[in-house]
Amino acid sequence: MANSKKYWVGLEELDETKEFQEAQQNEFAPEGKSVDQFLDETDLDKTSTNRRDFLKFLGFSVTAATVAACETPVIHSIPYVNKPEQITPGLPTFYASTYFDGVDYGSVIVRTREGRPIFMRGNSEHGLNRGVNARINSSILSLYDSTRLQGPKIAGEKTTWGEIDQKLGAEISKIAENGGQVRFLSGTNISPSTAAVVERFSTSLGEGVFEEVTYDPISFSSIRKANEASFGSAVIPDYNFYDAKVIASLGADFMNSWLLDTEYTSRYVDRRKPSGEWMNKHYQVESRMSLTGSNADVRMPILPSQEGAFAVALHNEVAKLTSGSRLSGTSSEGLPMEGITALAKDLADNRGECLVISGSNDPDIQIVVNSINAMLGNYGSTIHTNKEVFLNQGSEESVQQLIKDMKAGKVDALIIGSGINPAYSLPNADEFVDAMSKVKVLVSFSGSEDETASRCTYLCPDSNYLESWNDLKPKTGHYALVQPTINRLFDTRQFQDSFLKWSGEEMSYHDFIRGQWSLMHGQTAEAPILFEEFWYHTVRNGTVSIEETTVLWEGEFSYEAAQRAASRLKSTSAQGYEVELYTKVGIGDGRHATNPWLQELPDPVSKVTWDNYIAMNPGDLEAEGFNMHLSQEKPASLVTLTVDGKELTLPVIPQPGQKKGSVSVALGYGRGQNNENIGRAAYRTKQYGGYETDADGKMIPIGKNVFPLVTLKGGSSIYKTFGATITDTGETFPIASTQIHHTLMGRDSVVKETTLSVYKNSPKEAYNPPHQLAAHEDGKNIKKDVEEFSLWEEHPVANVGHKWGASIDLSTCIGCGACVTACHMENNVPVVGKDEIRRGRDMHWLRIDRYYSSDMSLEKGAEQGMGIIETYGEMEIPEYDNPSTVHMPMMCQHCNHAPCETVCPVAATTHSNEGLNQMTYNRCIGTRYCANNCPYKVRRFNWFNYKAYDKFAEVNPSQDAMARMVLNPDVTVRSRGVMEKCSMCVQRIQAGKLEAKMKGVPLRDGMIT
Amino acid sequence: MSYFCEKFKAIRISSTVGMMQYSGKWLAKLNTLLSGLVLLSLLSTSQLHAQDGEKLFKANCSSCHKVDQNMTGPALKGVQERWAGKEELLYLWIKNPNAAIETGDSYVKNLYNEWFPKGGLMPGQAVNDEEITAILDYVKNWEPPVREVADTSTPDAVPVERGLDTTWLFIIVFILLIMIFSLLSVRSSLNKLQNSMRAAEGLEIVEEMSFAEKAKIFLWQNKVYVSLAGIFVVVYFVVSGYEALMGIGVYQGYTPEQPIAFNHTLHAGENGVACVYCHHSALKSKHAGIPSANICMNCHKGINQGRSEAGTAEIMKIYEAVGWDMENQKYTGEEKPIQWVKVHNLPDHAYFNHAQHYVVGEIECQECHGQIQEEYTVAGQYAPLTMGWCINCHNETEVKMEGNGYYDEIHERLKKGGKEELKQYLEDGTITARELGGWECAKCHY
Repeated sequence: MANSKKYWVGLEELDETKEFQEAQQNEFAPEGKSVDQFLDETDLDKTSTNRRDFLKFLGFSVTAATVAACETPVIHSIPYVNKPEQITPGLPTFYASTYFDGVDYGSVIVRTREGRPIFMRGNSEHGLNRGVNARINSSILSLYDSTRLQGPKIAGEKTTWGEIDQKLGAEISKIAENGGQVRFLSGTNISPSTAAVVERFSTSLGEGVFEEVTYDPISFSSIRKANEASFGSAVIPDYNFYDAKVIASLGADFMNSWLLDTEYTSRYVDRRKPSGEWMNKHYQVESRMSLTGSNADVRMPILPSQEGAFAVALHNEVAKLTSGSRLSGTSSEGLPMEGITALAKDLADNRGECLVISGSNDPDIQIVVNSINAMLGNYGSTIHTNKEVFLNQGSEESVQQLIKDMKAGKVDALIIGSGINPAYSLPNADEFVDAMSKVKVLVSFSGSEDETASRCTYLCPDSNYLESWNDLKPKTGHYALVQPTINRLFDTRQFQDSFLKWSGEEMSYHDFIRGQWSLMHGQTAEAPILFEEFWYHTVRNGTVSIEETTVLWEGEFSYEAAQRAASRLKSTSAQGYEVELYTKVGIGDGRHATNPWLQELPDPVSKVTWDNYIAMNPGDLEAEGFNMHLSQEKPASLVTLTVDGKELTLPVIPQPGQKKGSVSVALGYGRGQNNENIGRAAYRTKQYGGYETDADGKMIPIGKNVFPLVTLKGGSSIYKTFGATITDTGETFPIASTQIHHTLMGRDSVVKETTLSVYKNSPKEAYNPPHQLAAHEDGKNIKKDVEEFSLWEEHPVANVGHKWGASIDLSTCIGCGACVTACHMENNVPVVGKDEIRRGRDMHWLRIDRYYSSDMSLEKGAEQGMGIIETYGEMEIPEYDNPSTVHMPMMCQHCNHAPCETVCPVAATTHSNEGLNQMTYNRCIGTRYCANNCPYKVRRFNWFNYKAYDKFAEVNPSQDAMARMVLNPDVTVRSRGVMEKCSMCVQRIQAGKLEAKMKGVPLRDGMIT
Repeated sequence: MSYFCEKFKAIRISSTVGMMQYSGKWLAKLNTLLSGLVLLSLLSTSQLHAQDGEKLFKANCSSCHKVDQNMTGPALKGVQERWAGKEELLYLWIKNPNAAIETGDSYVKNLYNEWFPKGGLMPGQAVNDEEITAILDYVKNWEPPVREVADTSTPDAVPVERGLDTTWLFIIVFILLIMIFSLLSVRSSLNKLQNSMRAAEGLEIVEEMSFAEKAKIFLWQNKVYVSLAGIFVVVYFVVSGYEALMGIGVYQGYTPEQPIAFNHTLHAGENGVACVYCHHSALKSKHAGIPSANICMNCHKGINQGRSEAGTAEIMKIYEAVGWDMENQKYTGEEKPIQWVKVHNLPDHAYFNHAQHYVVGEIECQECHGQIQEEYTVAGQYAPLTMGWCINCHNETEVKMEGNGYYDEIHERLKKGGKEELKQYLEDGTITARELGGWECAKCHY
């Protein structure tokens, strides 16, 4: 924005000549005559082209253009030469596959059309997870990212794989011969076959040459370290959320980013059903308002520095009740002792049926948590001691050691795996970048030329997982396959294939996996006898579970370790704010920052899109004098956060529930600091399209990279830091939030809450009263059921055929937003970018409203003698410190007598006899009356031609020839000037009905998918 | 309506089976049927004639052999001459090729070496010596079929746009114009003559009135007719203008030139190939689809000659597309996809599903595509494909509820429905698509 350069159109402007100044007054310069002058001329009729002629020409050319436009367009249609058996044009084909990028794991079903993956959902039948999170299902768009590396490169020049193999092979074998060192820095690998491939490569280089270093951008190494201290074994046990009646999470965001979050969330919500045997009780202790915290039954805000003290205090309370030994060393000052006592009692009452977890990466806290679980007898019941989770194998020490070795010139070749980006995500990334220059041969498998890959000589782009074969073993006894769903879009090669090639193997990785699996098949008793059967069965299902157990540890639990850990846990008492760093639901550790769907996905809690911000308690914000009420016209204050001599400037937003005295900032932003070609959605855009640039003409990344704020404590990354100061810059920064109203204000007819006992013991009217409206009868005010107000007669064949409705189990919904991106995918919903969202013109057909509780209610207001307007004013303000939160998915309700239908002047929105509120785009003239009349505000107006207007060129995937391949061919891409809204996926309904009709069977539940 | 009906039914039953499999089964059935027939005829008479030889040839040999051309196996013409003196061995070869090879005869060996790589070893044929003789007789007396003269021109020609022949119109107009001109010039000559005569007599010269004045007088005198004609002209322009506007975007009759002059009349008409044999995705999918070239090859692997030179040339185009080397009877792997021109173009916001209409609605292909087996060569747009046309059909077409389990419950409820409207529905005896919601927007627009 800030552009200090001055540009001029010519020397005249530079010199400010008289002619130029005169000419500048005249907008239509060339003729030197204004329109009025031209028409005033008396000899106008003598000119060769008079007005009539002009009109004739105009008329003629318009007609000619119209007639020319009527020509039949020639559309070519190219059928297969040899049609593959499993593809029928017009019908979807499904593949089971698995997503794993080093962090997130999830079994998926990929829906393809004519060979293109267009939709993805969780493989609930065979996978560990039921659904998948937004990051996983949006990965389908990343496949079509046209900024992916399109082929191998050597030193920035395009090359062939043959050349790469030859040159790199020569370099590496030279290093091996000279006794040099080759390092492979990779993300967590849970693939047995990949491990075997790497092993083979290592063997081919000879003894002592090759070493693999595992690096997790977001580390959970503390869990392994803690288990080593407590049990003598550096493993992660498998957590069993299904059998845990009480779950106490000390800052573990297990619905978003903690270990196998997709599985844990699925098992957690299985126990949130009031119809079930019992419902779990969830305590969350945290400083920021996380997605997990917003779903907790009891949430206790604490400062990040109090985590250790809290764990010890809880330990001691539990010890009291279970006659365990107390830990000493920390004071319980400032802790919510009442809550701790209650939690300890709940835990002790459910010994062996509860679970205490911690999201901290401080091993000492994890050790204390281990001790609590041990006292409660959870090992062997809610924490499996015979099943291991293989995720998060990264070790900060070995990465730091690698950097040291690189600096010392001990590393001759560094191969950097795909899915990691250490030059961006290491706390000491600068040091790593410096060290890279000391390494002779730098190889990258990264799929795009990111911060790390752009500094490497040999770029050997790995294929997208949707184009690849792989096998995965997330935990003991569970194996999954990754299978390709599309041919490779670019000239990429799976890195396993590269390794095989470089080890001198001619085999493809696919054959290699089959080889490995045939060995496994031989050792598996319960598998089908024929390997082919076993293999195809697994490929079909995506996963296979095998009875397999392992002994995680032999040793007994060591209470001494807990005692030692507790003594190390000193509460820090630095002045200033405490900062917690976390990963967002949308863009995770930054790898998804280039995905426009995920950038546009509102954060489940703050509802902010397209930005990074400092979240602060509203009370603190008020005290600091920053802008409180953000909206379209009211931007956020831009503040500078200073900690440990590092400064960063970000907008600050009020976040109810954020512990006073602490702030939180998301990791994963600020990608592409050097304008690397990482993706179109990673940079800030201007109001009318194009990228914002800084003074040097460089594009500005969205948000700031806060990885440098991560500290290393004894070899563990600590995602909190203390003693920060926050100062106002005096500037403001607009924030694009999809929700700027934060409380329900007594509108309880939309969100209905009740307690389990009321639900179980009372009639339906007690917790779900019928909707009533005020009416007059016999001169009296009465209330009447809303059905009685109908203007319309029922459809003659209503209730004869189907009647559609979608019900969402609100006690299961955690508000994660995966449905929002799924809706993007299925319904070709355009991405509109930050500026439009800020104006309230987001296009999400499905949104999740999040409401906080308020201290004020109508009753309370009346008690305090407040006026009604004043009371409502107060009700608008959410509780600052610990509000309770509800997530409410909201899309078209397909009202029986829909108010939108009544007001449409052209009957573009109508009701079907099956109860659908139909929106007909080709009929709509865009009056927007319907949106005005919609009580749920779910109708979205197409203000622009999103698929062609320059403004959206950077953000909307359908403006990219490659990304357009993700569009669902069964759903219209809407044009400018029409209203659109949730259709209840009528295309799926129609497809399901058709299937039933073709089979000649009644339509049953489950046939519409 | 009954066109193809039985065949469609048969195919529908096996619709879930892949088409390749289907065609295999079908052929197998045909084979058994034919051999059964042959067996019957054998039982009835032991005397075999040349006609039986033809039947036997078609039943047993024709899938791999042609008389005058090499196919999977060598051309059979002259087979007796080639095997002269080894008749017994030939008979053995036909019945049991392995045994014939074991004899070690050099001719057999050469034959085996030449043809085994191309098509594999011929399976032993279940024919007796008598039948072999009949087949050999048939081959010996085989004459290339005489082509009808008419065949060369019509069936394979590219479609020509048909319209009014305007040549005659032009000639008539031309003659009329000449007549008008000559009459006008005669008249002006007469006027001149009259004037010159009057001048000679010293009389006043009669000034000719200008054309405009004359026209004015004429129009005034005939004002009734003129106004009627005027009204007619205005109405004509309004009507034709309206029709022209309504015709925008309607491409009825669109018959673009296609890369291969495929002949529907020959395939679907004369040969009676079921529409869904080639357009098989109409059985499952929204698209009827342009058949992939491998489907053509199901038959055209064997049929490599058209009825005319032009026809053969079109078949060669398929071979080029799929990369079929006719000489060596194998695929070269060089594929060149055929770029057809799409004929039926619906707007993007309209959804149409072939399976819904053809399988569930039991609508014949011809209802929307015309008598393509009789009228069109490649393809043309028969129906206007306007929304009016769609909903008109939805209004009239009865829902095929009988025998479809999906509708059982709906039908029951309709019958029991107490509402007046429902009774009316049943009174006229039919339930049309419209009455079940076939006119609702989201049936086609989403």
